[in-house]
Amino acid sequence: MINSWGCIITMSSVSNFEFFLVEAIRGVFRSPLMSFVAIGIVTVTLTIFGFFLLGVVNLGNIVSDMGAKLDITSYVNQDLTAHEAADLQIRLSKIDGVELVNYYSKNDSWKDFKEDYAGKLDLEDVILENPLPNTFAIKVRNPEVLPLVAASISKIKIIDEVRYSGKLINQVQHLVDAVRIGGFILVLLLFFATLLIVVNTIRLTVLAREADIYIMKLVGATSSFVRWPFVIEGILIGIAGGIISVLILRSSYETLAFKIGSAFPFLPVVTDSFLLTVIFAAVGIAGSILGMIGGYISVSKLLKNA
Amino acid sequence: MIELRNVTKNFSNGVDALLGVTLHIGKEEFIFLVGPSGAGKTTLMKMLYREEVPSAGQVVVDRINVTKLNEDQIPYLRRNIGVVFQDYKLLLRRTVYENVAFALQVTGAARSQIRRRTMQALELVGMMKRAKSFPSELSGGEKQKTCIARAIVNTPPILLADEPTGNLDPQTSWDIMELLDKINRRKTTVVVATHNKNIVDGMKKRVVAIEGGRIVRDQQLGMYNHDE
Repeated sequence: MINSWGCIITMSSVSNFEFFLVEAIRGVFRSPLMSFVAIGIVTVTLTIFGFFLLGVVNLGNIVSDMGAKLDITSYVNQDLTAHEAADLQIRLSKIDGVELVNYYSKNDSWKDFKEDYAGKLDLEDVILENPLPNTFAIKVRNPEVLPLVAASISKIKIIDEVRYSGKLINQVQHLVDAVRIGGFILVLLLFFATLLIVVNTIRLTVLAREADIYIMKLVGATSSFVRWPFVIEGILIGIAGGIISVLILRSSYETLAFKIGSAFPFLPVVTDSFLLTVIFAAVGIAGSILGMIGGYISVSKLLKNA
Repeated sequence: MIELRNVTKNFSNGVDALLGVTLHIGKEEFIFLVGPSGAGKTTLMKMLYREEVPSAGQVVVDRINVTKLNEDQIPYLRRNIGVVFQDYKLLLRRTVYENVAFALQVTGAARSQIRRRTMQALELVGMMKRAKSFPSELSGGEKQKTCIARAIVNTPPILLADEPTGNLDPQTSWDIMELLDKINRRKTTVVVATHNKNIVDGMKKRVVAIEGGRIVRDQQLGMYNHDE
């Protein structure tokens, strides 16, 4: 590239990247106390962010679990042959949103009922004929589809009655929505709060080098040339803070999940290692993104005045 | 090479630093800008590398109207004008070598080229032996030589020196001036703003005197004072 003064400018982006990386690493070690404080603050804010994220995911899991335990019960009063029952079971399981269909014949139900009350009540004397209907217990994939599945089942002529807890479903559904929307908004707010803290922390390290930036500009450095080492330094601080916070989150979550699981076995604490890995990776990536944005914003403010 | 056309600079605090200054500096010339403190010498210098912009008039450097450059073009102007400062403006956490090499690094030059040209510049100013020293370990003269090496490492056609001997003893001041003279003989236009009467009188170069923001004297083979 030839500039307006006719001098040849040889561009060597590889050499520049090496330079930026070395400068960024030097920057971290140049003021170790400041970097230590920056990494510490990033760690604390990311850990809070991570705990909050885990909390939201767990709350969502509890609510979904509650929903999953709700099912639809369908009754058929007329007698069904084994073949007819199997056909109906297949038909029901093909309805969109249905996960599992269990069939209890009226005879099985009557037998179970009598066994349950054996010795307490002699039903044979009172009830001569089996009064119970054939029952299909239907589990759905998620609570949102319950009303739709129930409506579809109602349309099947042979089915006499469909029961599900509509009001409870609505409440669970509202809770699921509230957790999702509220959680998203809170995670977003926390992300920006963390960004604000990170920007101001990295800014302290940038301000300490205000004179250097001024001199760099005087000898012909472009704004991007000055900016890159600070952005990479921000990423390094973010990654360091992210790694430490993931280590804290992982060990404390494992302990906490074990204790909660032991004390309240009915609570479905998230232990899915894939999901947890995704969450921890998100915290680590959030750290480097926050550091990068923090470095960029911090130095840009200063470059405007340089 | 350098042309100021009716340049005026009024600062927001009401100070008129320059008033209708017109000046032409030819290629490969060596000139002294003299005048009392606050006369406008530094403001004039700063306009050449676009640290200040005139309130009125035009500043042309190497056929480029500097006043019309946008922010993105300023770094490229500065790579073609070496500047030597009274307070050196060295990067304190970098060695002599790194300070000089930095001016090449910003241009995106290849590593081998940076090394070769930095060594050449350090050789020219006699600072090879102090290449690994930090500015805090240098004398005033050595700091100024480092600053000069950084200013010339890009082989700019213009070298500006604002009070380059302001903080130096007489002997070191002469060493620095001889160095600037040597650079001028290598076909670089050199502009030196100074208060140093002995040096101006001893060098016998073109002298432009500024007082109260106006050029009051422009003399070939001039002296510091008009009546000498």
